[in-house]
Amino acid sequence: MAHPAWILSSVAISVPWCAAALLAVYRRAPRVIGFGASLVSVAASALLLRAAPSGQSLYEALMLLFSCLTLGATLVLPRRDCSSATIGGILFLLGATLLAYASGNLLVLLAAWILSIVPFLLKRWFRARTWRPQAGLLLSTIALALAIGLIAASGHAFSIDRLKGRSPGGMAAFGLLVVAVMFRKGICPAHAWVADAAEGGPAIPTALLLNGHLGALLVAKLIVPLFPHTAGSAFPVLSWLAIATALYVAIRALAENSPRRLLAFLALSQSACILAGLESRTAEGVTGALVHWYVVTVSTMGLFGILRLLEVRFGENLTASRYLGLAEHAPRLAVSFVVFGLALVGLPGTLSFCSQDLLIHGTLMSHPITGLLLPIATAMNAVSVFRLFTRLFLGKRRTGFTLMADALPRERWILAAGMLFVVLGGLFPSTIVAQRSAEADTVEHTVSAGEK
Amino acid sequence: MSLSQAALVFVVLAPGSVFGVLALLWLLGWVPSERTVSRITGLTFSACAIALAALLWRLASTGATAVVVTFGNWFAVHEYRFPLVLMADRLSLPFLAMTVVLAGLIGQFSATYLHREGGFFRFFLLLHLFAFGSLLAFAAGSFDLLAGGWELVGITSVLLIAFFQQRTAPVENGLRVFGVYRACDIGLLVGIFAMHRWAGTASFAGGMPALTGARATIVCLLLLLAAAGKAAQVPFSGWLPRAMEGPTPSSAIFYGAISIHAGAYLLLRAQPLLAQSGVASACVIAIGAATAVYGTIAGRASADAKTSLAYASLTQVGVVFVEIGFGWRSIAIAHILGHAVVRTLQFLRAPSMLHDYHRMHSAIGGEIAPTGRNPEDLLPERARLWLYRWAFDRGHLDTILDRWVIDPLMELSGLFATIDSITSGTSVRRRGAPGISVRSPARQEGD
Repeated sequence: MAHPAWILSSVAISVPWCAAALLAVYRRAPRVIGFGASLVSVAASALLLRAAPSGQSLYEALMLLFSCLTLGATLVLPRRDCSSATIGGILFLLGATLLAYASGNLLVLLAAWILSIVPFLLKRWFRARTWRPQAGLLLSTIALALAIGLIAASGHAFSIDRLKGRSPGGMAAFGLLVVAVMFRKGICPAHAWVADAAEGGPAIPTALLLNGHLGALLVAKLIVPLFPHTAGSAFPVLSWLAIATALYVAIRALAENSPRRLLAFLALSQSACILAGLESRTAEGVTGALVHWYVVTVSTMGLFGILRLLEVRFGENLTASRYLGLAEHAPRLAVSFVVFGLALVGLPGTLSFCSQDLLIHGTLMSHPITGLLLPIATAMNAVSVFRLFTRLFLGKRRTGFTLMADALPRERWILAAGMLFVVLGGLFPSTIVAQRSAEADTVEHTVSAGEK
Repeated sequence: MSLSQAALVFVVLAPGSVFGVLALLWLLGWVPSERTVSRITGLTFSACAIALAALLWRLASTGATAVVVTFGNWFAVHEYRFPLVLMADRLSLPFLAMTVVLAGLIGQFSATYLHREGGFFRFFLLLHLFAFGSLLAFAAGSFDLLAGGWELVGITSVLLIAFFQQRTAPVENGLRVFGVYRACDIGLLVGIFAMHRWAGTASFAGGMPALTGARATIVCLLLLLAAAGKAAQVPFSGWLPRAMEGPTPSSAIFYGAISIHAGAYLLLRAQPLLAQSGVASACVIAIGAATAVYGTIAGRASADAKTSLAYASLTQVGVVFVEIGFGWRSIAIAHILGHAVVRTLQFLRAPSMLHDYHRMHSAIGGEIAPTGRNPEDLLPERARLWLYRWAFDRGHLDTILDRWVIDPLMELSGLFATIDSITSGTSVRRRGAPGISVRSPARQEGD
């Protein structure tokens, strides 16, 4: 990494951590501090992205995306949740996730991985009420640590660049990395912790954890470059698991009535498509997966944010088992919800229409039979997201309170920015697709070279 | 860009732009008056009609058969391209004209019909989005772009079925229709993929993708799945009476005129491929004939005006499918246009049907005495009773769908929930009953 890039990365990562440390001792104005620190990260990431060469800007783009997401989270966080501990935890997570994106060293990656789960293991931060989230995160960490240990012992290096293409650690390291991905991404049968985390933990920080997509990052950063030979032959297993997860979770969501769990299942099913696309070994599939990464991240963050805003206004016992009629009280939140929801499942005019189009083409090309399951899963997800929308927002107007605020100005602007991203990205997708296509070539060439 | 090209672009983009601007302004806090909304709508569709007339005049004066506007690729990844091509030819022009004229008329009708209705602005927003989706589908130069418009038509249709959102029945029915649409649209998506895979393109602006034999059959059958879903053909006809929950103007334009014929348009567009496959053509004829018979029998047992009209519409679209299957393209287009106009009028008059009857009775000086003779009288009473029950339950199509698709899916989902709960130690019952109401009321409140 060039010297200015190193400085910018350091700024993007360390400023949120410093702000988190500041909030630990100075417990005032957490939203302002959080906003300022995330803004610095956004600016540094934007400069990094600008300086990155074409076709090699995936991680810089992801850094910018996650920084923007955190910036939005600090603004959209309801006042009830906006404590110094929550903002501090979110900033800590931001720094750790950016470190994972920026790292070129196995030990640094492992450290970032561990740091990113720390807020979700501590009770004073975001620990869920049930045991499965901690177990899932810890098992993924253990698997990654063992894999890195094997890789380092076999390859005698920690630098990812130096280990590329050498398949260090062989099938054992490869298998452990796959296990780490499965637990972190919530691939079946290790999927249940994601819904538990969403239901039993704080909504917005949990959405940030899920949208870091460190499991997919592990595939793009370690599995494909380090194990191109193994990946060529053993990758389809991961792809089948991902497609099976997308379908299993889509079916599971059909009967789910807890809005948080339902959203978690939708996010899981759609993000499993990312893995399936990354594995498809076609330019369309990999590009679709990278574009879909953006879509899933922004849409699910928007959906979780809106759900939390509804919980704060109308109580935390929201359910999809009956009609709540909240659109009468919060029409703009309703519109935002339906836009983000349908953007997640491929509504034309949104970026996901393009990403789904590419994903379906890519996966059908590489797996003509199993690839068919992807559009079926997406169709079921569309039904689930529309059902959740109808149950939350439509139906007879809810009584029992006099007046509830619709989206506040700060919330409205953030939601509008998210919607503009998915809609403008969908109307003019060529720039985003072209950039991701160049990065996809790198991934595809790596795997193809390994196969030969 | 020539005048005719500019006119085509304007016709397609104008309703979409109006939708985008109005939606954005509303999100920012502006709520326009009813008069403003209806004037904007009137102006938009009047301008579209003028532009379309200019396009037709230009085509007639130059003797050209089609106008094609190419914007390059919307996005491209190596050899895979999503071409952004608009095309108005002898097939799409009648559909474009029908959409512009009927959407404009419905807009004017609705300004009075929905006066002081809570969702007035929402209705007009969705009307613009629907018009944009339809125009995009009919003017698309490739199946990829057609799919975009197709999906927009589907989502606006569903949102308008759930227009009266305070009642649960329209919302439940909207969800059901959405499920059927999404399931059938898989055929369109996979069909497009197959065209790209086997022919290298899904564009028809320069001629249909070259496919023959089994490949043509597979693609046609996939497109038929999508077309049958959108046109409510057997076995997907169960959603049509549910869709009558929406406001009458939307029922008129969707299920009397445009949306219900979108499936026929897709098959007409794919007819060169259809001509390559006897199997696919036979399937189109069989489905169309079955739907026509089903529609006429089920319609006879319908107790409310809109549902009867919907079944009458279904019968005619079934006949159109048969015409397409036989390759009678011109007859099918003429049939569609005539049927759309008449059916729209009938739908719009449905709320004042009693008034119309009274006027007619006054004019002829008494009530029309029914003859008491019906074709079903030829059947034995037992068969008549069975047929009545069959028609009253709408051919058991919803029951079959529930029993063989939705119930097993929900049971599977429940099983997965149980498996999840075993390891968490929480009771699955806590999370409530199954999510989709599989026995949702299908019938109108007046039934």
